Amino acid sequence: MALEDYRADMERCSQCSYCKWIPLDQIKSWRFAKGCPSIAYSHFNSYSARGRYAVALSLLKGECDYTERVLDIVYKCQACGSCDVACKVCRYNLEPLETILELRAKLVEDGQSLPQHRAIIDSLRKENNMVQKPGAERGKWADGLDVKDLTGGEKAEIVFHAGCRFSFDEERRHAARTAVTLLKNAGVDVGIMGKGESCCVTRAYTMGYRKEFTESAESLIEAWTKAGVKTVVTSCSDCYQAFKRLYPKAGSRFKVLHTVELIDRLIKEGELKLTKRIPMTVTYHDPCHLGRQGEPYIPWEGAEKKIRNQIVVYEPRKPRYNGAWGVYDPPRDVLKSIPGLELVEMERIREYAWCCGAAGGVREAYPDFSNWTAAERIEEAKATGAEAIVSACPWCERNFIDAVNINGDKIKVFDIAELVGQAM
Amino acid sequence: MALSIEVYQALEDIVGRENISEDPAILDSYRYPMNHTSIHMGPFFDTFTPRGEAVLLPGSIEEVQTIIRICNRYKIKFKASSTFWGAMGYPSDENTIQLDMKRMDRILEIDEKNLFAVIEPGVIGATLQAEAMKVGLNSHIIGAGASCSPLASATSYRGFGPDSIFMGFGDENMLGLEWVMPNGDILRTGSLGCGFGWFCGEGPGPSVRGIIRGIEGAKGAMGVFTKIAIKLYPWPGPAGLPVGGTVPAYKAVLPDNFRAYTVAFPTWKAWADACYEIWDAGIGYVAHRQYNMFGRKLKGAMISVLSDPTKTLYDLEELLENPDIQKLTEEMKRDFQIVLAGMTPRDIEWQEKALDEILAVTGGWKVEAMNDPDIQKWSLLYLIRMGHKNLNLVYGGGYDGCFGLGGPPDFGTARVEEAGAFKAKWEEKGDMVDAGGDCMIGGIATIGGGGLCVWENFAHFDPHDRKSTEGTYEFFDASFKFGREKKYPPGMERINSVSRGSDGRTTPKEERKRILSASRQPTVFYYQRKIKEAFNPNNLGDAYYVTLED
Repeated sequence: MALEDYRADMERCSQCSYCKWIPLDQIKSWRFAKGCPSIAYSHFNSYSARGRYAVALSLLKGECDYTERVLDIVYKCQACGSCDVACKVCRYNLEPLETILELRAKLVEDGQSLPQHRAIIDSLRKENNMVQKPGAERGKWADGLDVKDLTGGEKAEIVFHAGCRFSFDEERRHAARTAVTLLKNAGVDVGIMGKGESCCVTRAYTMGYRKEFTESAESLIEAWTKAGVKTVVTSCSDCYQAFKRLYPKAGSRFKVLHTVELIDRLIKEGELKLTKRIPMTVTYHDPCHLGRQGEPYIPWEGAEKKIRNQIVVYEPRKPRYNGAWGVYDPPRDVLKSIPGLELVEMERIREYAWCCGAAGGVREAYPDFSNWTAAERIEEAKATGAEAIVSACPWCERNFIDAVNINGDKIKVFDIAELVGQAM
Repeated sequence: MALSIEVYQALEDIVGRENISEDPAILDSYRYPMNHTSIHMGPFFDTFTPRGEAVLLPGSIEEVQTIIRICNRYKIKFKASSTFWGAMGYPSDENTIQLDMKRMDRILEIDEKNLFAVIEPGVIGATLQAEAMKVGLNSHIIGAGASCSPLASATSYRGFGPDSIFMGFGDENMLGLEWVMPNGDILRTGSLGCGFGWFCGEGPGPSVRGIIRGIEGAKGAMGVFTKIAIKLYPWPGPAGLPVGGTVPAYKAVLPDNFRAYTVAFPTWKAWADACYEIWDAGIGYVAHRQYNMFGRKLKGAMISVLSDPTKTLYDLEELLENPDIQKLTEEMKRDFQIVLAGMTPRDIEWQEKALDEILAVTGGWKVEAMNDPDIQKWSLLYLIRMGHKNLNLVYGGGYDGCFGLGGPPDFGTARVEEAGAFKAKWEEKGDMVDAGGDCMIGGIATIGGGGLCVWENFAHFDPHDRKSTEGTYEFFDASFKFGREKKYPPGMERINSVSRGSDGRTTPKEERKRILSASRQPTVFYYQRKIKEAFNPNNLGDAYYVTLED
C-alpha cells in the first residue's frame, strides 16, 4: 500500500471528531472522556485522526509542504489506535490507524524522519534492539535461569520471546524471569533464544520504518523454524502484536500467545495453583497492542466494490479490526484468581483504554508528551482507589514507573506475572 | 492574505505561542470538505472551505474578548467553533481567523435543585449527559449527536433531537449566557445580567434570544458565546449508563422502567394520529423516526448488521434476501421509535397502557422483532446517548438531507410517499444509495411536549466519487425545485446556499440578494441587517447571519 491508496479514506472522512473521544456510548464522566492523547495534549485538530487525514490529503495534493509542524503532527501520536476504535463505531469503510502508519512510512521514505528516531534505528541496525543498548547484553536477563537455549541446538515447542524492554531494562527483567519460571514449573516445554534473540521491530514499524521491519520478521521466523518452535509466547504486548498481526504478512504461521493467555489457561486447567494471599486493590491497564490492536490476524486480499449503487464494501468479505476481539478477559481472569486481590476497573478499559504513552516512537521523541499521557492514566487509576496499576507490557510499565517517579506519585506498578509469581 | 507580523504577535501575546498557528498543515485541518454533509448546500466535489489566516485556541473569556478587540482594530473576521460538525463552523472568507474553542471545555456547575448546568463551548453532549446522570438528571442531545456542543446548538443553531419530546430543543434550553459580542463587549443575559445567577435567560436582566438566535441561530457569525446555563431534566435511571455488548454493538442494560419500542402503522393517517395522541397523553422520553435514515428498503437489514458485532456491510445483500428481514422491513415501513421512561413503577405502567391504547385506537403495533431484548437494549442506548449519529455516513461516507417537511404530523405524512417516490426515481440513476426512496428521519416532536414534526429525507452518496457527488448535487437541485412546485417549506438541501457558495466561500452578494428577495418575508432580512449594523458594526462575521442590503 502507499499513502495514495488511502486517498479514498481521506475524502470519505467527514471530519466528525469521533476520533478524539472514546466511543461516545462508553463515556462515563467529563474527566475521562477523551480517547486520543495526541489531540488532548496538542489541541489543534491536526493532531487527531481527522486532522491527519486532512494533512495527508493536503500533502498528496501539494497544498502544504513538509515543515517542522508537519513532522510534529505526524509523529506526535502513539499510534495507539483509540481513534480507530471510535471511528469504526459508525464507519465501516475507513482505516484511520492504517492511514496514520502509512503517512509515517511515506515521511520516512521521503527522508522526513525525526533525529531521535534515526538514532534509535541506527542503533537497531548495529545492536539489534530498540533501547540503544549493546547487543551483546541481550541474553543477560536470563542469566542463571535453568531454561533451554534454542540457539544452542536445543529444541522446544514453545519459545519465550523476552523483547528489548525486558531484555535490557534491569529493573523490569525480573517479570520476564518470573514468567519463564512459572511456565517451566507448570510443565510447559519452553525455551528462549537468549543472546540470539532479535528485536521484533514493531516499534520501528510504527515509526514508519518498513524495510527494517520486514528484514527482522524474516530473520526471526527463520530462527524459530530452525529451533523447531510451534508456539511463540511473549510477555511484551508490542512483540505480541507484531507476531500476531504483522508477522503473518511476512509468512509466519506460528501460534502466538501472550503470557497472560497461557497463564490463564494453566490456571483454569489446574496446572498453576495460586495459593498465597495478596491483600491489595489493583486496577488493570489494557496495553493497546494486546487489547484493541491484538486481534487475531485474518488473511485477506481483495478490493473495494459497491453494492446498492454507492454502498462501499469489500470483495471478498474483509475482516474488520475494531478492537472487538482483543485480549481483554484473560488478564482480568488471572487477577481475579489471585487470593485476596481485588480488581477495580478504570473508566476507560478494553478497546477504549487510554494509552500508556510509550508507543509509536513518542517515548523516544517526545518525553514530555509521553509522561503526560502516562500521568493521565495514573490519575485515572488513582480515581479507582487502587493501590497498584497492573499491566501486561513492559513498555507500559516502564512509562508508568517513570511518570510515577517524575510526578511524585505513590501508586505501585506491576507486571501481571509478578503478582502471579507472588501468589504461588 | 497572511496576518501581518504585528497582528500575529498581538494575537500570540494573548493566547501564548502554543495556542496559535498559521502553519498550512494546521490551517488545512480547519477546512471543511464540501463534498460531505455540507449542512445544507452542495455537495461539491473536491472543494473545501477557505483557509483561515490563523487558528487560535483561547482559554478564557478574557482571551476571547481581547482577540475580538484586536479583530475589530484590524478589521479581521473571526469564526468560533466548538466541535466542528459542519461547514458552518469554518471560515467563509480569507482574512478570517478561526477560534477553536476546544480548550474551554469545563462543566462549571450542575445545579440539581434548579435543574441546570453551566457549561463552556467545548463540552459535548455525552460528557454533559454523563455528569448529569450522576445526579439523576439528563440533558438534551441534538440530532447531530453526542459529539456536538450543547452550547453551540443552544446558542447558534436549531438544536432539535430525538429527545425533544421530553427535553425540548436548543432554544428552549438556553438560560443565562455569557456573550462576547462582535464588537468585543461582554453581555451577560437574563438573570445573570443583573447578578441573580444563571437560572433564567429572559429576565430580570437583558434578553437577546431573538437577536442572537431566533429559530435558526447565527451559526458563529455574531460573536462568541463563552458560557451558557442549559436546562436539565429528570433521569429516572442509574447514575451512569450501564453499557455492555461488544463494540460497535454496544447495548444499555437499563431497569424495567425503560422501554424502547419501534411502533408502526397501517396508514400514514394512523401514524399522524398516533403522534397527536402521544402528545395529548404526555408520554415518551424519546420519540423519533430514526432508523429509517438507512432507507425504507434497507433498515431491517441494517439493524441486523449494526446490532451484531460480527457483521459488516458486506452481509447486507444476503440479509436482504432473508425472509425474516423482509418481513421486518415490510412491517416497519411506516414506523417511528419511542422510548418510555417511567419516573415511578406506576408511571411506566401507565405510559405502557397509554401507548397500547394509542396503538389500539390507531391500528398500530409494536414491531415484534424490535422487541427482542438484545435489540431493545441496543436501541435504548442508541436513542438515549445518540452516540451513533455518524451512521448517517456509514454507506459511502456522504449524506445530506433534503426536503424538510416541517409542520404538524399530517403535513409530513401527506407528502412522504410523494417525496419518497421522487427520490426513489433518482436513486435508480445510480449516484445515490438505492435505499427505497423514503429515508425520512426526524422528530415526532421537535419542541418540548410535541406540536411539530420535522423530517428530512437523507440521500446517501460517496464523496470520493465525483459522479456520485455530482449526481447527488443534481438530485438536490431537482428536489429543491420539486419541493417548491409542491409548496413544501424551503428545502433543507439548499437552506445554507444563501450563506456559502459552491467554492466554499461566502455566497456572492448579488446571489444572496436574489435568493432572499424571492423569500416569503424578505423584510426579516432587512431587519436583521439593522441588528447586524448595531451589534457587529465592522461586519466581522460571515453570511450565516442572513441579511439583505437595501
